[in-house]
Amino acid sequence: MNQLLKEKQIIPIDGKDSCLVERFLGSGGQGEVYRVSIQGKPYALKWYFPKQATSEQKASLEYLIRIGAPNNKFLWPKFLLTNPKNNTFGYIMPLRLPQYKGINDLMRRRVEPTFKALAIAGVHLANSFSKLHANGLCYRDISFGNLFFDPITGDIQICDNDNITTNGDPLVTVLGTPRFTAPEIVRGEAHPSRDTDLFSLAVLLHYMLFVHHPLEGEQEAKIHAFDLPAMTKLYGKNPVYIYDPKNTTNRPVAGIHDNAIAFWKTYPTFIKQLFIRAFTVGLKPNGRIMEIEWRDSMARMYDSLIYCRCGAENFHDATEYETTGKTTVCWSCHKPTILPPRLKIGKNLIMINVDTLIFPFHVDPSISCEFSDPVAKVNQHPQNKSLWGFQNLSKDKWTVISNEGAITEVLPGKNVSLINGIKINFGKTEGVIIV
Amino acid sequence: METKRPGGVLSNRPLHFIWILDVSGSMEGDKIQSLNYAIRNSIPAMKSVADENPNAEVLVRCITFGNEVKWHIRTAVNVADFEWKDIQAGGMTPMGKAMNLLADQLKIPPMTDRALPPVLVLITDGQPTDDFATAYQNLMQESWAKKAVRLGIAMGEDADTAVIEKFIGNKEIKPLVANNSEQLVNFIKWASTAVVQAASSPASQLKDEKVTGNVPIGTMPDVSDLNQDVVW
Repeated sequence: MNQLLKEKQIIPIDGKDSCLVERFLGSGGQGEVYRVSIQGKPYALKWYFPKQATSEQKASLEYLIRIGAPNNKFLWPKFLLTNPKNNTFGYIMPLRLPQYKGINDLMRRRVEPTFKALAIAGVHLANSFSKLHANGLCYRDISFGNLFFDPITGDIQICDNDNITTNGDPLVTVLGTPRFTAPEIVRGEAHPSRDTDLFSLAVLLHYMLFVHHPLEGEQEAKIHAFDLPAMTKLYGKNPVYIYDPKNTTNRPVAGIHDNAIAFWKTYPTFIKQLFIRAFTVGLKPNGRIMEIEWRDSMARMYDSLIYCRCGAENFHDATEYETTGKTTVCWSCHKPTILPPRLKIGKNLIMINVDTLIFPFHVDPSISCEFSDPVAKVNQHPQNKSLWGFQNLSKDKWTVISNEGAITEVLPGKNVSLINGIKINFGKTEGVIIV
Repeated sequence: METKRPGGVLSNRPLHFIWILDVSGSMEGDKIQSLNYAIRNSIPAMKSVADENPNAEVLVRCITFGNEVKWHIRTAVNVADFEWKDIQAGGMTPMGKAMNLLADQLKIPPMTDRALPPVLVLITDGQPTDDFATAYQNLMQESWAKKAVRLGIAMGEDADTAVIEKFIGNKEIKPLVANNSEQLVNFIKWASTAVVQAASSPASQLKDEKVTGNVPIGTMPDVSDLNQDVVW
């Protein structure tokens, strides 16, 4: 094999430590990635091909190393290694952990996450890109290969961060990955920017939720040879969302685009409306959905999860329920689902299932969306098995107002019954139970 | 696996990858063994690239031309199940007949009308001993041949690069002249990975990258840093 680095090769670091090349992991358009060890600890090392080892790339990496990662989801460059003999270089970054699977595995259905895990992954993804963009940076190459997620927990890791630059940096080298690049890049009118990142993020979320590309419908079905001119037309010159309410020329074709059809029936109205916006008005840069809206919608999707009696996860569609009074029909057993009790906090409606957890961000809008340290869990009364409640897992006491107006305190560790109309004051916000 | 969500795998398109290999008498000995080695060597990386592209179902076949012109791998095999059986050399260089055999398989049917551009890789060390020109014209009547990414690798200086250039039919893509076994390994790996990647889902597009034909195949392999010690 013709590789840039050899196994067992030792690369000096600042004359003190050294980096031992353990094995080749993979290659891409710019270089190769190796598993290495430094002081016995495993890391990943990306080494650039001579043509890609430019002074601009090096300066860009030095900048990224200096400013540090936007959050802990990014496998961010830690430090540079150089080979003075041929002026090539690489950088050390954290090694991706084995429980994190590629979006490719999700597309091939080799990993089967729950909707819950996908919603959490969506929240993390939107949140991480929000932080990156808030720092004035631009990712430029969001695609299948750059995101990994834990199908059990929904946690994510974002790789290939070496193409990140300041938004608007004219020294761009990477234009993005076809199918993910924004229409204006496909048409050759623009370079990657924060705005084009937002389009790619929407495509990635669509792939994750629908296992299908948002622009591949009837138009795609009619294409014989799917080559560059065909891709340019489909993704650049005449992009039409498969569920554009005003333009029905590109609907999914049964037998070819079955995933789009199946998942479209599954998601609640607010998610469908968001994707419609993302791929209608959002085809233009100033119409793009911002990360915060994606994040809040993914969190709302998480809160809308219900279980059918058959065990399948479904979503409560509040819009549909308010209009028709009908509950969601289960995608798996095709029977109507039974609506569980709900907790309404401000505008948010949280489904109360047996495994529902209430997190700090649910009860305090100033706290970021993290799915850890729950403040409440659903609990069954130890004697009266038909009685369910919220157990206070927080350090603060809650105040509960009954339907009769009686006020009681719920100390940490204690429970409050899920009775229709009961109000719970969590400190910063007040919620009401709806049964 | 238990299905937790509706639907199935991502819809994909077939990507036909066809080796067209010269097994004439002049390939006998080291050359044919180097070719066998290079193809076998390329398989893991090819599988890995195919696996990373859920938009494509990479299907492999192989034509050989020498004593006879035949399908060495007749039924398109999914790259995940692709194994290489060594080929033997002997006979003339009936490249024209190989083009005819290829043309028959690029018709619709047996080809489907929806696919990714096929990748056709011609590897030869000599000159056609039959009517290549007419057969090539015949091949290029087929729309899938026109849409295909056609690549050519010359094994050694004796190969007729003019014929390979004609097969490629794109001035931006030059025949790859392999003067040693290491170069051959490198070229075959490139054809079976970078080009498969480009045809199924072009990788990150780099600024200033040349667009070659209807599929941007990216930068051709750089051989300048390879050892030149194993000369045929």
